[in-house]
Amino acid sequence: MSIDGAPAFPVTVVGSWPRPPELLKALRARQSGDLTFEEFNAEADKAVLECLRYQDEAGVDIVSDGEQRRDNFYSFIVEKLDGVQLMSLAEVMDHVEDKASFDEILRSQDAPAFAIHNTTVVDKIRRNKHLAMDELEFLKKHTDKPIKIALPGPYLLTRSMWVKGVSDEAYPTMQDLAEDIVPILREEVIALRDAGAAFVQLDEPVLTDVMFRPEVKERTFMCASMAASSGDPMVELTWAVRLNNAVLADIEGIHTGIHVCRGNWSRQDEALLSGSYEPLVMYLLTMRVNQLVLEYATPRAGDLAAFGRYPRIREMGLGVVNPRTDDVETVDQVIAKVEEALNYFEPEQIYLNPDCGFGTFAERPMNTTEIASQKLKVIAAAAKELRSKYEVGTR
Amino acid sequence: MGSDEGSVVNGLNIGEFREAVKTVAEQEGAQHAPKKARVQWMGGFKFSALTRNHTFVIDEPAHLTGEDEAPNSMEYVLGAYGACLATGFVLNASLQGVTIRNMEIALDAGQDNVFTFLGLGGEGHSGFSNVNAKLYVQAEADAETLQRIWEKTVETSPVGNSLVHNVVINPAMDVIP
Repeated sequence: MSIDGAPAFPVTVVGSWPRPPELLKALRARQSGDLTFEEFNAEADKAVLECLRYQDEAGVDIVSDGEQRRDNFYSFIVEKLDGVQLMSLAEVMDHVEDKASFDEILRSQDAPAFAIHNTTVVDKIRRNKHLAMDELEFLKKHTDKPIKIALPGPYLLTRSMWVKGVSDEAYPTMQDLAEDIVPILREEVIALRDAGAAFVQLDEPVLTDVMFRPEVKERTFMCASMAASSGDPMVELTWAVRLNNAVLADIEGIHTGIHVCRGNWSRQDEALLSGSYEPLVMYLLTMRVNQLVLEYATPRAGDLAAFGRYPRIREMGLGVVNPRTDDVETVDQVIAKVEEALNYFEPEQIYLNPDCGFGTFAERPMNTTEIASQKLKVIAAAAKELRSKYEVGTR
Repeated sequence: MGSDEGSVVNGLNIGEFREAVKTVAEQEGAQHAPKKARVQWMGGFKFSALTRNHTFVIDEPAHLTGEDEAPNSMEYVLGAYGACLATGFVLNASLQGVTIRNMEIALDAGQDNVFTFLGLGGEGHSGFSNVNAKLYVQAEADAETLQRIWEKTVETSPVGNSLVHNVVINPAMDVIP
């Protein structure tokens, strides 16, 4: 299915946008209990409108709210679920069995433990608010464009929220927790569809960690603090596919995607994962989503030949600019990347987006709004040329 | 910013702190801040250290045939340096009225040649040859102010100065029959 109102080679975003200083101040006040949820949202409204303006000026076709209401791409749900607490990694560290390995990971990422917050299950979870309906409802009032909402995926949520020694009284195993997470996400996707969202993207960045670092069996960090895995990529990826498919099973009437990257918390390339999507492709293609939203601007992701054996099965949300660099890509570079993708995807299957968000973690934006904006403009300019060159009309 | 005698900054009562320092300073020899410790052998490479009314265990890691119950001596030194820097930063920031929201220091160090200690000989000495200390801080001040506070902290750190200045060590021994 396509998205009504979107042109060919639609330009969209992966989700997050750098927060303005006033919003960060409000976020800290919210986290310290000095602002109510409603007071914080009033400040966030202003930031969302600003983010929307940047997207409109750049020529983005499918817009998001820049995750301005979120501390990061997954921990925001602490406001929406009972039985969950936001703990800094410094607090989580007390429960990590292999503290030295955890410290090594923080060092490799040049990150302090206090700056990263983990949503931790402390009791049986229950939804007290919709996860992202407030984001959608606000955006709907201010744009006629199709709206994309990113949600943390069920595998990421399960492994990040379950902390041994804290969560096991409510949920003895991660599998027990997953059984309660799946219906919450599923209800949210349905509610977002019914309320008019055009596109829901499930974020599962950790799947690369599962594939590329199977030896890390203790609690680890990859865009989120993660409980120890089985250490077997096949077991983990099969479970991840099963959970995502359970969330999306038989849901029609909304565009769905899954986003997988190699980390977006540092501008130091060596701190992030490297490797082709090739070993992940067969798992990604068994997910019941319309689109794979993948990074391809960074050379760390390998090339699109990873899809050589399985071409044209899913849409590609093609990462064409790197959110972590000061250098702004050229229109020609973006077009060249799309033309490489055309070897494996039909023109109608290709959407254009950055590799990842520009501000996955509120306190650690990966770029300035100015450079992020320039990058979006380059994507839009490339899309315009591609539409003309390939004569693919409005959907 | 600026100090306020009655104010509490970062959990420190600045007025009380200044008063306490003044009282201490009036005592003879207080500038030398004498310290005492007693270390008792618990068997193997394990020891218990007593300072004032506190005790802590020191052990060696398993790969050096210790029981790995606690940090070893050099790790305590490194941790002590980090804690000393953190203490100094809180002190200096507080005296300037700077509120700290979060702070963390990551340290790593290398020894010149630990083999000289382990009986393998070689050149050099067994002590630290380099220590890296990186401060991560969120505070209500601009980067320039925080940099000045950090520089002063590093410059005046008692543990840091113990590491970089020659310390006169007076060893002695008494064999108990």
